Amino acid sequence: MLEIKNVTKKFGSFTAVNNLNLTVKSGDFFGFIGQNGAGKTTTIKMVSGLYNPTSGSISIGGFDIYKEPIKAKSLIGYIPDQPFIYEKLTGREFLFFSGGLYSIEKNKLKKIINEIIEQLEIGDWVDKRTEEYSQGMKQRITIASALLHDPKLLLVDEPMVGLDPQSAVIVKNILKEKAKNGAAIFMSTHSLNVAEEICTKIGIIKDGNMIFSDDTKVLETIKGSNHHSLESLFLHLTK
Amino acid sequence: MKEVAHILYYKILIFLKANSPFNFSAVVKSIGSTIVYSIFAYGCFIMTYNTINYLLVTVKIGSFLLHRFVLVVLFIFFIAINVGNMVVSFSTLYKSKEVFYLITKPISFTKLFLIKFLDNFFYSSTTLLLIVAAVLLGYGFYFNLSFWFYPFALFFLVLPFMFTAGAAGVIVLLIVLRLAGKWGLKRVLIFIGLIYSSSVILSYFISNPIKLVERVFDYYPNINQYFGFLESGSVKFLPNYWIAESLYWISENKIDRAIPFIYANLVTSIFVFGVALFLAKKWYYQTWLTSLQVNAELRNKNKSKIQFFGFHKKSILNGFDESILKREFFLFFREPSQWLHLLVMIFLITIFISSISGIDIIILKAYNEYLKTVVYLIVSLFNVFLVASLSLRFVFPLISLEGEALWKIRSAPINFNDLLIKRLAIYFILIFFFGQLISFFSNFQFPAALSIVAQINAALTTITLISLNFGMGGLFANYKEKNAIRLASSQGASITFLFTLLYLVLIIAILFIPVSNYFYALAHGINISIWNLLSSSIILFALAVVISSVSIKLGLKSFTKDF
Repeated sequence: MLEIKNVTKKFGSFTAVNNLNLTVKSGDFFGFIGQNGAGKTTTIKMVSGLYNPTSGSISIGGFDIYKEPIKAKSLIGYIPDQPFIYEKLTGREFLFFSGGLYSIEKNKLKKIINEIIEQLEIGDWVDKRTEEYSQGMKQRITIASALLHDPKLLLVDEPMVGLDPQSAVIVKNILKEKAKNGAAIFMSTHSLNVAEEICTKIGIIKDGNMIFSDDTKVLETIKGSNHHSLESLFLHLTK
Repeated sequence: MKEVAHILYYKILIFLKANSPFNFSAVVKSIGSTIVYSIFAYGCFIMTYNTINYLLVTVKIGSFLLHRFVLVVLFIFFIAINVGNMVVSFSTLYKSKEVFYLITKPISFTKLFLIKFLDNFFYSSTTLLLIVAAVLLGYGFYFNLSFWFYPFALFFLVLPFMFTAGAAGVIVLLIVLRLAGKWGLKRVLIFIGLIYSSSVILSYFISNPIKLVERVFDYYPNINQYFGFLESGSVKFLPNYWIAESLYWISENKIDRAIPFIYANLVTSIFVFGVALFLAKKWYYQTWLTSLQVNAELRNKNKSKIQFFGFHKKSILNGFDESILKREFFLFFREPSQWLHLLVMIFLITIFISSISGIDIIILKAYNEYLKTVVYLIVSLFNVFLVASLSLRFVFPLISLEGEALWKIRSAPINFNDLLIKRLAIYFILIFFFGQLISFFSNFQFPAALSIVAQINAALTTITLISLNFGMGGLFANYKEKNAIRLASSQGASITFLFTLLYLVLIIAILFIPVSNYFYALAHGINISIWNLLSSSIILFALAVVISSVSIKLGLKSFTKDF
C-alpha cells in the first residue's frame, strides 16, 4: 500500500531524512519510532503530500504521490501531530467540510459522521465551535475527519498526544480495527508502550536514517536475547 | 516602565529575527523589498513634486486651494488610521494569545494596554509613515524648505496627528466594550455606529472643499492669496485642518502663523492619548472580561441562526464546491474583524459615492481644461484606490487565511488550482461589482465618452489589482497569522501597496494625454473620436494581461511549497 524508495529530504544543508526505504502492506500496523527531530514527522508529511522530497519516490496503492496526487491522496487518511482545525467551525461542520473534499454523497456522509461521532464519543460537544475545544477534543475531531472516506492508508502522527486515557483506548481500538479490516496504518509515536502494544511492524529512525525495520516477531526475538523491553532496545539502538 | 521597555525589547527582537532568517531566498526577498521601497519612495517624492508643480503652475489653483486638497487627503488618512486601529485593536487587545499570557504576569493592565497599543500603532503604520516621509520630501523640496522642516513635520505634525487618530480609535473601542457589558453588544454597536458614522459624514462635509473651490474661483485668476475668510467656522476644529493650515503657513514662510495650529495638534494628541490611557486604566481588564463574555454569547447565538445554509443541508453544488463555499461563508461571517471591516469600508465608499456624484460638472466649464483633467484623474484615482484597498484587505490575506489547517486541504485529493481560483472568484465577483458601482456613480456626470471609458478602465484595473494582491498574498503567505488585518498590514502587504501606488502613477501617465486632449477638443469645439480615449484602455488591457497572468501563477504556486 505504501512504498517509500530512496527518499531524501534536505532543508538547506540539513538532511532531515536520508535515503529512506520502507514498505507498508495492507493490514500492516507500522510503528515509526524515533527521538525528537529524528525525521518521523518529515517522513509523514512527505507521504501525505505536505512536503516535496529532495529525491526518491513515494507511491500509495501504486500511485506516485507527486505524479498522480489526486488518486494517491484519495487513499490516504492523515492525522497530524498538531490538530489545527478551523476555529470558527463546529466539529460537525469541520467533518462535513472534510467529507466534501472527498466528494462523499451528502446522505452517506451524514450517516458516516453520525457513526463516527458515536464511535469516538464526541456527541456532547461536536456542535460547539472548535475554538472552545481542548487539545484532546481537537485531536479526536482530526481523527474523525481522517476516517470519513474509509482510507486504505492511515498516516498517523503522534495520535495519543493530548488524549485522556479513555479516548486513547478508543483511538487505539479504532486503529487496530482498521488494520484488521485491511487498511495499512503508518503511525509515528513517542510512546513505546503504544507501539509495542498495537503495532505489527516497527521502524526506528535516527538522525534521518532507518536503523531498524522489521516485524514484531523479530523484535521479540531480539528483546528475548539481549533486551527485556522495546524501551531498552530503543535506548540501545538510538544511543 | 521597566516592564514595558523589557517586553518591547523582546518584541523588537522577535520581529527582527522573524524577518531575517539567513537563507538565500530570504536575502533575495529582503533585497527586493528594499529596492521596491527605495524606488517607491523616490517615485512618491517625484510624484509629489510634479503634482504640486502641475497644480500650481499649469492649472493655477493657488497655494490656498492646494492646501485645501491636502486637508481632504488628511481626512481620509485620519479615518483610515482611526478605523484600522479600532478593528485591529479588538484583535490585539482582546483576542491575542500574547495578552492571555501577559495577563497572568505581574504587570499592570495600563502597561499591558500601552504595549499592545504601541505594537499595533507602529506595526500597522510603518508603510503609511514611509509614504508620508516621501511625500514630505517632495513637498519640502518644491517649496524649498530648510532641512529642519522634515524632522519637525514628521515628529510634530504627522506623528501626533496619526497618534490622535489611533488613540481615538482605541477610545471608541473601549467605550463600545464598556457599554456592551451593560446594554448588550448589538444595541451598543448600533448606537455607537450611528454616532460614529454621523461624525464621519459631518466631518467629511465640513472638510469637503467643493463649495470652497466655487467661492475661491469667483476671484479667478487672482487666487494666489489666503481665502480663510471664505471657510466655514467648524472646519477649524478638525485636526486635518490644523495640519493643512500649518503646512500652508510654513510654505509661505510665516512660521508664527503656523504655531497655534502646531500647538493645537500636539496638545490634542497628548490629550487624546492621555484619555485612552486613563480609560484603559479604568476599563481595560473589565472590558477584556466583557469581550470573553461577548465572544461566548456570539458563539451560542450564531449556532442557531444560520442553519439554512448549514453544511448538513442539501445543495445543488457538488460536494467540493459546496464545502469550499460554505467554509468561506462561515469563516468570514463568524469573524467580526472581517465583516465589520467590510461594513466600514462599504460605509466609506457610500460616503464617497454620494459626495462625488454630487459634483456639478457644469462648474468645471468655467475653468480651463487642465482643471477638468485634474478632476477626472482624481476621481479615477480615487476609484482605483478604493478597489485597491478592498483588494489589499480581502484578497491579499486570502491564501494565508487557509491557516494552519491547510494540512487538511493539502492532504486531500483535490486540485489546488481549482480551489484557489474558486476562492478568488468569490471575492473577485464582489469587488468587481463594487468597482463598477463606484465607477458608475462617480463618472456619470462626465461626458458620455469619458464615462464609458471610465467603466472599461475600472474593470481592467479591478482585474489587475485583484490578481496582483492574490499573487503577492501567495508569495508572502503566512499561515501562522490568523488576523486578516495584520496580514493586510504585513511587510508583504506593504510591498503590494507600494506596487499598487506605482500602478496608480502609471494610470495617471496613461490617462493624462488622452483625457486632456479630449477636454481641450471639447473646449475648442474640435471633433474628437472616442478611440483617442480608448487608447488608454488598450494599454491598461495589456497591463492587466501581463500583471494578472504573472500574479495568478505566483498565487497558485504557493500551494506547491512545503507546508
